[in-house]
Amino acid sequence: MQAFLFHLGKYFILMWRTFSRPEKWSMYRKRLFDEMVSLGLDSLGIIMVISVFMGAVITIQTAANIDSAFIPTYTIGFTTRQSTILEFSPTIMALILAGKIGSNIASEIGLMRVTEQIDALEIMGVNSSAYLILPKIVAAVLISPFLVIISMFVSIGGGYLIAALTDIVTIANYEYGVQLDFRMYHVVYSLSKSAVFAFIFTSVPAYQGYYASGSALEVGKASTRGVVQSSIIILVVNYFITQIFLI
Amino acid sequence: MIEVNHLSKTFGEKHVLKDINVRFEAGVTNLIIGASGSGKSTLARCLVGLVEPEKGEVLYDGRDFVHMKNKERKAVRKEMGFLFQGSALFDYMTVEENVRFPLDILTSLSSKEKQMRVDQVLERVEMPDVHKLYPSELSGGMKKRVGIARAISPNPKYLFCDEPNSGLDPQTSIVIDGLIREITRENNITTLVITHDMNSVMEIGDFIMFIYKGEKWWEGTNKEMMETDNQEILEFVNAAGMMTRKQQ
Repeated sequence: MQAFLFHLGKYFILMWRTFSRPEKWSMYRKRLFDEMVSLGLDSLGIIMVISVFMGAVITIQTAANIDSAFIPTYTIGFTTRQSTILEFSPTIMALILAGKIGSNIASEIGLMRVTEQIDALEIMGVNSSAYLILPKIVAAVLISPFLVIISMFVSIGGGYLIAALTDIVTIANYEYGVQLDFRMYHVVYSLSKSAVFAFIFTSVPAYQGYYASGSALEVGKASTRGVVQSSIIILVVNYFITQIFLI
Repeated sequence: MIEVNHLSKTFGEKHVLKDINVRFEAGVTNLIIGASGSGKSTLARCLVGLVEPEKGEVLYDGRDFVHMKNKERKAVRKEMGFLFQGSALFDYMTVEENVRFPLDILTSLSSKEKQMRVDQVLERVEMPDVHKLYPSELSGGMKKRVGIARAISPNPKYLFCDEPNSGLDPQTSIVIDGLIREITRENNITTLVITHDMNSVMEIGDFIMFIYKGEKWWEGTNKEMMETDNQEILEFVNAAGMMTRKQQ
């Protein structure tokens, strides 16, 4: 418990330093765009591949679990949309990105720590945490909702493909189900959630990397810790957000 | 000039630096030497503020760096250049971007002026054609030269070099040592070199401070060092493979 509180305190101190006033905005602007490309656009491929199969599987699973003849088949489209928007796109994508981006952030910053690059920044009078971590957090928080929107469309498109390629549901029924009782609030809720998750899967691995010490082996361990911790925190926070905003 | 008064540092129970008093003059290469674990790197880190000492003061031309506020420290840090043991070049930047980085951070020069300065310092370290290369494409010696170029690009008043010859062949070490000495004299800067390389001591040791188990054990020039009968220094020199006149 003492260790947990110690790390929690250290994490908040790091975040405080990270969000302090930058030395030169122009430097941060360039880094922000670089990070948006590296964290966002480079993740587009994996997001699309996972989303299309995710949507396809939700559609098949829903169809396979509807036994009653009294449940209309358009429910498949409705369930695919709801599952995708409320949970799969924001949460599963956050977990995927925690693995991909989180490990990348922890190892990049950790390597900079053990090769004294962070010390070099500090000696030049640069707030190293703000310079290294802030653009990553801001880029991920800004770009993540867009990735989730893309994931939603592609996932629902994956379900559409199943409707088109199989006879478990007609395209018309699937489309009807997808449009049925649509609530914009759910999309807003989902995108807000994705921004919170983005903050978690960038800041937690950044913390682990920033305080890495010793050898490349330690950097690897820090990277693993960053991914595991951010994944767990995402799931816990997801529970609370759902409880607060949907019930 | 850098003056260190009564500097002490402990890590837990361990006394790493014990009441260090020393003065490093400008225009000469000042060497801090000692065995591994003697506290020389910690001393350097205390001097630049990467480690906070428990006691004592570090005066940069009379300005007490230890007891300054952060804002004032930043102003002094702008006058420092640091060459790290592993060069610490930023992996994601080209050589040119690495050298320009301190200029972007610390100066308000125009783009053209920055480019001129980058070209000038890369020329100075005899690396005129590597602007677009990344650190991973450079050899150890080349990285050190670029590290020096980055350290001197904002015209520092104080230059710190941590083990500048570690991992380099003897020939390249001589070149790097020569470069550090020339730059020190040309610009009249206060240079501190942390090393345990006896060749560097002989080549560029204008002023040497020998640190032993966290204490300042001895100070003098390289010539005086060869004359001394201090047992710890003789052991250090002997371990470095040097046969001094006294030992013979």
